[in-house]
Amino acid sequence: MTSPSLSPDPDAAPLVVQDWERLAFRVHRRAYRDDALFAAERSRIWDRTWLYLGHETELPNPNDYKVRALGGRPLIFTRDSTGELHAFLNSCPHRGTVLCRETQGSSKHFNCFYHAWAFHNTGEVAAIPDPSAYADEEYKASMRLREVARLEVFEGFVFVSFTDDVPPLLDHLGAAADYIRMIGEQHVAGMEVLPGTQLYSVRGNWKLAVENAMDGYHFSPTHNTFVGYLRESGFAVTDDDQYAYNLGNGHSLLILTGHGGRISMLWEPRFGEDERVRTAEHRREMELRLGSERAHLVADESHILFVFPNLLLFDLEGLSLRQLEPVAPGNTDVRAWQLAPRGEDPAVRDLRMRTMVSFVGPGGLATPDDIEAYEAVQRGIEATAGNGRAELDYSDMSRGMAADAAGERGRSTDEGAMRGFWRHWVRSVGAGGPVDIGTPPPPRPEPTPLPSSRPHGLDEILAGTETPAGQEEVAAR
Amino acid sequence: MTALDAELGAAVRGSDRAVTRAEVEDFLFAEAALLDRQRYDEWLALFVEGGRYEVPTTDAGATPASQGGYFVCDDWDLLRARVKRLRSRKAHAENPPSLVHRMIANVRLLEREGDELAVTANFIVHRARDGRTNAFPGRYVHRLQVTDDGLRFRLRRAELALEQLEAGARLSFIL
Ligand code: FES
Ligand SMILES: [Fe+2]
Repeated sequence: MTSPSLSPDPDAAPLVVQDWERLAFRVHRRAYRDDALFAAERSRIWDRTWLYLGHETELPNPNDYKVRALGGRPLIFTRDSTGELHAFLNSCPHRGTVLCRETQGSSKHFNCFYHAWAFHNTGEVAAIPDPSAYADEEYKASMRLREVARLEVFEGFVFVSFTDDVPPLLDHLGAAADYIRMIGEQHVAGMEVLPGTQLYSVRGNWKLAVENAMDGYHFSPTHNTFVGYLRESGFAVTDDDQYAYNLGNGHSLLILTGHGGRISMLWEPRFGEDERVRTAEHRREMELRLGSERAHLVADESHILFVFPNLLLFDLEGLSLRQLEPVAPGNTDVRAWQLAPRGEDPAVRDLRMRTMVSFVGPGGLATPDDIEAYEAVQRGIEATAGNGRAELDYSDMSRGMAADAAGERGRSTDEGAMRGFWRHWVRSVGAGGPVDIGTPPPPRPEPTPLPSSRPHGLDEILAGTETPAGQEEVAAR
Repeated sequence: MTALDAELGAAVRGSDRAVTRAEVEDFLFAEAALLDRQRYDEWLALFVEGGRYEVPTTDAGATPASQGGYFVCDDWDLLRARVKRLRSRKAHAENPPSLVHRMIANVRLLEREGDELAVTANFIVHRARDGRTNAFPGRYVHRLQVTDDGLRFRLRRAELALEQLEAGARLSFIL
């Protein structure tokens, strides 16, 4: 393995150094700040991979639309008048003007103010003023709205691709798909995205946000005050018996059982007595609907799922979706939505909102410290930039690498999920790319996620409530 | 009695005495001075027991905090946890504390019902940290309890007049 210290030119130093002898894994810090690499990511990741666009429940009715950007490209996400979903480029086919300048709404047409071309929300040209000046009807029809190359929906999650050359969405999601499916299984009526999007921006590279989400190591020190709050409310916070997994295709997963309960599925004291009763009832419904094995998987474990490259799913006390939109090497836009059961009891919804917002989001009791961390990294890594001592310009992610070497699952407090992400990043950005990524890391088998063995909380949920016949097995687990 | 009154109980006795705009302004200006100096315990004492603090998302419109995503939807328990956190040296996002400076203007008294007074005001909070400054313009929409010896927050709500929180503008301080 090439040693970075042997490279005289810092730009020639390998981007990722993986040393299986010394169990060392390091990432060159220019990966977080270099403009050329950022451009390469745009063209080699954002333009070539399935991207999370939004959730179909954000557009409940025909003609609803939302405007957002992916990979720097402005888009209109709409449900047309026939009920079909589209992602149009938000740019007039005539001369490129932003077509829809609202952020959301409901409309059968999109009209360009510049020369007054009008389009149906199915994409067809509706009207072009003075059309006789164009060759023929066919020419006019060719001016229909430009769409993304592919759009597919999985369990309500809408993904798009700017190229045709992608595998079917389900192949891309691979092992991540089941963790998305579990979300829909939490409640019999399914889930919906709620109004109120947390729109914010951080002064940090998008990959720092991914690393942070996959980093159980930071939880106790960074979230010291939040952990204190949980402990005071009577919750036994622990990092024991929690694991991180690479799911392939750059996706990764943290399975957590010791950081908090789960509204309507796994009770903890701060949720209150009413919720304890409701939880027990809902768990019985889940057992009947899903069977006890599946109900256990869906209900008892919290997941942080990263779907490469831009979706983070926080399936914790409640559910929060986070979409990452890189704007510049040191700047990332974040959009975060709350996902909740359809038709939820207002009392539970209220509890859910308070509990989830209290943790996640830029005004919560925990996420601001995460943002502080990645913003502080972004500033701090300037210290070693281009100073001629290339060996210093690396961030270390070696923690728990022995597990990778042995093909074992790594603890959530190790850095294995991050390493998996970076290996995939190297493959994506490096393949035929303009940047020298150094020696590609050798492939290693990835362990399969195993359900947690801890009978976490279920006893407490069912204690004091009548156990229906046939459910003893669950209660005893 | 409003529904909220009943919910909050009578920890502090309300009053139907008259309140002038000057009194509300003094209250808000004094609050601003406490927040600009990070005197959070004294700030918390401006709330009735059971008071709430809300910051809706920039696109939330009229969605109530209980039914949609918010930046902050603190009930009394969370509000006290927030203050406790801000006093801790382990609140990393506010250690060292941001330099905050707030201007309050356009104070208006809205409806009055029994001991409850709705007020609104415009604000700009400037926050300097890490070599950058962010401006947070917006509107307060508070519900105050009138007592014989002053005013208290029942609901302290800050609505941002921004399209999104700009880079670096996390709400780790009190808006
Ligand atoms: S650019 Fe849109 S009509 Fe001309
Ligand atoms: Fe965190």
